Amino acid sequence: MIEIDWIAFLEVFVAALAAALLVVGFYAIALRLLVRAGRAPVVAPAEFTDAITVITPKEARKAEKAAAKAARKSPLTEGQKRLALLGAYVSFGLCGLAVVGGIILIIIGR
Amino acid sequence: METAALIVVLVIALALFFDFTNGFHDTANAMATPIATGALRPKVAVLLAAVLNLVGAFLSTEVSKTISHGIIREDQITPVDFIPIIFAGLIGAITWNMLTWLLGLPSSSSHALFGGLIGATIVGASILAINFGEVLSKVVLPAVIAPFTAGVIAFLATRFAYLLTRRYDNKPDGRDGFRWGQIFTSSLVALAHGTNDAQKTMGVITLTLIMAGWQSADHADPYPWVIVACAFTIALGTYMGGWRIIRTLGRGLTDVKPAQGFSAESSTAATILASSAFGFALSTTQVASGSVIGSGLGRRGSKVRWNTVGRIAVGWILTLPAAGAVGAVAALVVVWFGQWGILIDSVLALAVILGLFWRSRRAVVDASNAMSDVADSGHAVKVKRNPPPTRRQRRILREQARLRAEDEARRKADAKAKAKAMARRDAQERAREDALARAARNGRGGAK
Repeated sequence: MIEIDWIAFLEVFVAALAAALLVVGFYAIALRLLVRAGRAPVVAPAEFTDAITVITPKEARKAEKAAAKAARKSPLTEGQKRLALLGAYVSFGLCGLAVVGGIILIIIGR
Repeated sequence: METAALIVVLVIALALFFDFTNGFHDTANAMATPIATGALRPKVAVLLAAVLNLVGAFLSTEVSKTISHGIIREDQITPVDFIPIIFAGLIGAITWNMLTWLLGLPSSSSHALFGGLIGATIVGASILAINFGEVLSKVVLPAVIAPFTAGVIAFLATRFAYLLTRRYDNKPDGRDGFRWGQIFTSSLVALAHGTNDAQKTMGVITLTLIMAGWQSADHADPYPWVIVACAFTIALGTYMGGWRIIRTLGRGLTDVKPAQGFSAESSTAATILASSAFGFALSTTQVASGSVIGSGLGRRGSKVRWNTVGRIAVGWILTLPAAGAVGAVAALVVVWFGQWGILIDSVLALAVILGLFWRSRRAVVDASNAMSDVADSGHAVKVKRNPPPTRRQRRILREQARLRAEDEARRKADAKAKAKAMARRDAQERAREDALARAARNGRGGAK
């Protein structure tokens, strides 16, 4: 009789889902807060490749201008912007902690 | 005894070569997306993948234990006689791996390894020597379930990422920042790859050492030198194989946005790392492909290209039996010709290695030898360039249309009222003028 541990599959799914959503969630919140803080990231590609999603330097400059314009029109006060920036850094930190925590769990489980 | 030792050394060398080809073949899994979205320079990406594969190999040994203490029933075999069977299984795995690579067919290094070992064991030993329960629960079922798991997780993660960063006022949404994040997540995928794939070779070497009596069967963990050798070999393979990714970039994954790539990689890394902790021997290629398809579906207006999905799935399904058949033939040669059979298999392995070397020296890269199976998965989902609006966007659009219509109606009503007023004023003016004219006429008549 072949015994299959279905619970283990469920555990893998739940653990992977939780880990992925934590990492993606914290990172996305951090980006959102960066935008609120008036520092919308415009990241030009490391190297221009064949991929169509990669933006050209001209497009990057245009995006930077749009980000700066949006930041100038932000309804937040300076204090609120600083708070949003702090929140963004905390979110980035939590995202990193989620990953480190996961890896530590794997090492401990050895 | 000397011959047995020589065969053990041969098996270890062949296992390490398999490890090298695994790294060589699978660099694309970790680094195709960040290079495609421009998150990383190709050379940096490949170096990073190599280093993290090295680190990942030291993190866990659960998968290694599955192979060395799970899939073969040691009570059904004669240990020393089984070493040439492992050798034949590795020949099957490497030959199938290289063949699919040369023909550009989607395949999985891990399943090639399992297929080769199982096929060789059935022919060289006995069908009873396979622990089918363990093979089913730790190899076959994870192989079937993992791509779906990764796909579902990637789908949800992509939706989540877009939901959290969506803006309704057409101002910058900051999603470009996911490009930074991809450096982080692709590193995690490389780490996960090292954790799962390097261990498969560790498991094969440990199994060989146990069969040769050089390691106690009670001692499940691989020796430190085995871990170090496998870690460095997979890292070297990853680094050496990386240059091909640079050339295959434009071929696939051309429509992967940074937010989508970030979510897909997070899902791949989370699935592989969680599975490694449970000792499930997964195919990282299949998990990464499942994630790319799932994250593509997570974008609005996307559709599955079932033909592409079907082609990839057929390649996956074929890998295990096909590598098993090659392993079985190699084992048959050993069974028929004994030590001469090992020599024949060695010559065959050498021919495959030389074929690989000869092929890799050729600069031509086209559909027949491009090896990014994950990139192929990028074509499995068709995403509209202008996706349909979300429910909230539709509500906003409806509201804007309603306001525009109200504005238009008000303007029309104003214009109508203005025209009416003007007409009334004109009529009054005309009436006054008529009255004045009449009065003037009456005045002149009275004077006469």
